Amino acid sequence: MKTKSIVFAFLALGISFTSCSDDDPVIENQEEVITNVNFTLTATGADPVTFTWVDADGEGPGAPVVVGGTLKANTTYTANLELLNVQNEETDNVTTEIKEEDEDHQLFYTTNISGLSVAYTDEDEDGNPLGLATTITTGDAAKGSITILLRHEPNKGAEGVAEGNIANAGGANELDATFDIDVVE
Amino acid sequence: MSLSKLKFITLLFIVVPFIGFSQNCTLTLTGHISDVGTGEPIPYANIFVSETKKGTVSDSSGHFKLTNLCTGDYHITLSHIGCESKKVFVKIEEKDIDLNLKLTHSVHDLDNVALSSSSKSKTTQKVEIINERFISDNAGKNLADITSSIVGVSTIKTGNSIGKPIINGLFGNRISILNNGIPQSGQQWGIDHSPEIDPLVANKISVIKGTAGLEYLGAPLGGVILVEPEKIEKEPHLHGKTNYFFESNGLSNGINLQLQQYPSNIGWKANATFRRSGDLSTPDYTLINTGVQEINLALQLEKEFSKKLKTDFYFSTFNTTLAILRASQIGNALNLKEITERGIPFITGSSSFNIDAPKQKVNHHLAKFHSKYSIDFSQWVTIDFAGQLNQRKEFDRRRGGRSNRPALSLDQYTIYIGGKYFKRFSSGFNLKSGIQYNFIDNENQAGTGVLPLIPDYTSHQIGLFTTLTKSYKKSVFEFGARYDNINQHVATITRDLPIRVERFDNSFHNISTSVGWNFAINPHLSISYNLGYATRNPAINELYSSGLHQGVAALEFGDPNLKNEKAIKTTLGITGDIKEKFSFEAHGYFQKFDDYIFLNPRGQIQRIARGAFLVFNYEQTNAQIAGLDLSTAYQFTASLQIKATASLIDAKNITDNNTLIYTPTNTFTGSVTYEYPKAIPFIGSKKLENLKLTVKNEYVSESTTEDEEYIYFENNIKKSFFIAPPKAYNLLSLQSSTDIQLNKTRLRITGNITNILNTTYTNYLDRQRYFVVAQGINATLGMSLKF
Repeated sequence: MKTKSIVFAFLALGISFTSCSDDDPVIENQEEVITNVNFTLTATGADPVTFTWVDADGEGPGAPVVVGGTLKANTTYTANLELLNVQNEETDNVTTEIKEEDEDHQLFYTTNISGLSVAYTDEDEDGNPLGLATTITTGDAAKGSITILLRHEPNKGAEGVAEGNIANAGGANELDATFDIDVVE
Repeated sequence: MSLSKLKFITLLFIVVPFIGFSQNCTLTLTGHISDVGTGEPIPYANIFVSETKKGTVSDSSGHFKLTNLCTGDYHITLSHIGCESKKVFVKIEEKDIDLNLKLTHSVHDLDNVALSSSSKSKTTQKVEIINERFISDNAGKNLADITSSIVGVSTIKTGNSIGKPIINGLFGNRISILNNGIPQSGQQWGIDHSPEIDPLVANKISVIKGTAGLEYLGAPLGGVILVEPEKIEKEPHLHGKTNYFFESNGLSNGINLQLQQYPSNIGWKANATFRRSGDLSTPDYTLINTGVQEINLALQLEKEFSKKLKTDFYFSTFNTTLAILRASQIGNALNLKEITERGIPFITGSSSFNIDAPKQKVNHHLAKFHSKYSIDFSQWVTIDFAGQLNQRKEFDRRRGGRSNRPALSLDQYTIYIGGKYFKRFSSGFNLKSGIQYNFIDNENQAGTGVLPLIPDYTSHQIGLFTTLTKSYKKSVFEFGARYDNINQHVATITRDLPIRVERFDNSFHNISTSVGWNFAINPHLSISYNLGYATRNPAINELYSSGLHQGVAALEFGDPNLKNEKAIKTTLGITGDIKEKFSFEAHGYFQKFDDYIFLNPRGQIQRIARGAFLVFNYEQTNAQIAGLDLSTAYQFTASLQIKATASLIDAKNITDNNTLIYTPTNTFTGSVTYEYPKAIPFIGSKKLENLKLTVKNEYVSESTTEDEEYIYFENNIKKSFFIAPPKAYNLLSLQSSTDIQLNKTRLRITGNITNILNTTYTNYLDRQRYFVVAQGINATLGMSLKF
């Protein structure tokens, strides 16, 4: 009878679902997470420094380990930012991804160290700043921090954004890393 | 009484023919029209015969007469001021016919929806019914928006396209939605998921407030929404209905087509909806990326194997692509702060039909097989088998071209098997008993590049129920009990290193019971009381959700140690009228929860690459909800009616002594309706019948919830800001409708304007309020043609 065959079809369906569900779920490789930030500064007449920010478990419960450092007063540093996604001993270079979509990204640098200034030295395809490469000029000795913010899809044409002012940029935050810095004579 | 039942009774009144001449054109059809509720005759109702294009009007006692009819098939349309027009099929053979017809009179409509009050539906629970006309007049609205026309039902939503119904303060896992008798199985985890049901497929939507619905699998703790298509009319000819609607805001367009036929022993009905909407607008700017595309199909087959055995098959597919407001995709609380301070979104522009990431793509398929066997006049058995497949894909704006890859991809399979037995005892007892089994398999699909928020799991649920009702004199007594056993097998993925699979096996028991009493003091006054107790096991998301919820700038974590939530609810309802001029309905409720599960936003802060995030934990507390739904109407004349409604609610976390989040705010409405007593001449011989105008104002008060605190860091210094709940607001709207009798069809035109004053406001229950204000003025034009 028709009724019976439909009943059996449903039961068979049920059994097939039950039997296939005990497989272990796939552990996704978290492709967009940033686990490592290396901020390297070099200058003539000063020791090169690298500030690091490491959050090995990505969006997991572990807190990031941040290592700041010392900069020399009244010095102009060439700074380079490297972002990595290290998982299961494999490294994805997020910096490369950002360079490929440079019109859709911009880095913003804010600081509370008086006399310290940051200037963009790289550009995207449209000639707007990107901010992976910068020069950092220190003033007199001071203590404070530098915060690096990465925005995805900011409004690069908005007022002040090309000068590094985040206020009108919008976009979604993809990185918010703060390094404690000591500027010494 | 349902429309289909009426039609059936109507057909019963048609006298079986006897042999005569082949063409006899001297036959007479007489009839009497009365009100379905009061049984009183309806005078001056219009009667129109499609085939002869002739009509008549009922006399002061509700009688009418049509003469000189030939043998043949006739379709008769009945219409009357304040009533829903109705089509009746009559086969006239060699004998005069007398029909007894009933119309639903809107004196009893307290909302703009037809109500079936507790006294009539013979239940001690508050059951409110939204009829086909209301659904069709509101084509283009989603299920949540349609149900929110009921006092005490509101919508928790994300913009205009995603909405979930809230019944007396409860939503999500606490209420069940049944699509054609089958518990809707979808990924109803978040607020940002809509039930995958096309209201236009339904002819009737019922909302049961309270711990009723013990016969339905799901969560009887909060209430039940039943979405039901009508039975196929026993009509040998092809009939149908088409709906077209247009909305000015978003340039939304939609069409719905329904066809049905019952040739001999097998009936069929098909239903298709297509809907498309572009970006919506607020009074000041366009909401970029808020369009929708939807294609839905449903097929119904009915077969009577014998007088005793009836079987029907139902298949429906719901397919939607929903754009999510671009401006709502934020990184962290700092972004939220910038948006809040700016007042207008960063991304504005001109409106389009493009649907870009962030977006959701949802497909839901349901196949159902239902059989009813009537053992004898007083007992029957039903059996249901159903399978559902729900596929949900959510797309975010991602780096490296990943926006085209879903960030969430879940498939959910559900198998439902249920059996019910009903017996009417001569002692006046009605017994209903049943057993149900539900199997769910939820699987994350690989390739998202994101760890899943909801884990893979399977769940087996077995439920048993019994309900007893007894009518005694003017009273109806009701008793019901339900037991459910739920077994979950869950495979979670840890967030701490090394990332690994962790399995959980759970077994939960739920017990629900309810007693009620309905007392009809006289035909104009009845009271009902209900007391219920129900438990609800923690849902998968409450136990195991884990990860970043970007839209709310928070990390959400479940707690595997949660216990069952327990609630006791009492309701008291009074329904009545004074000389049918003034009618009123009051529904008061009080519900007390032990171990109420909620997402506590006052957890710690976690810093990840994207910035600082609040950690939201699922926790348990003691809570109580008290409320009152009130509606009154005064009928000045047959044409003029005023209505007022109030929905008051107070929901408290007793332990912390504050208002529960997502509690609807107190809402008041007032409206004036004028219906032209006579048809208005239109073009040629065409007339505008039942022309009706309603002006309505809605006042939504401010939420009493606390301001929400958000944390961010500025140069390693922790800072915070607060977002207060939205201010109270008024919304003015206009509704109009009319019917036009065309040659063989009847055209209904509706025109509505919502937010007439283009008010700028935000609603507490709209998740989009953090980023933008609500939709501005919107004019809707609807046309529906019955043929």
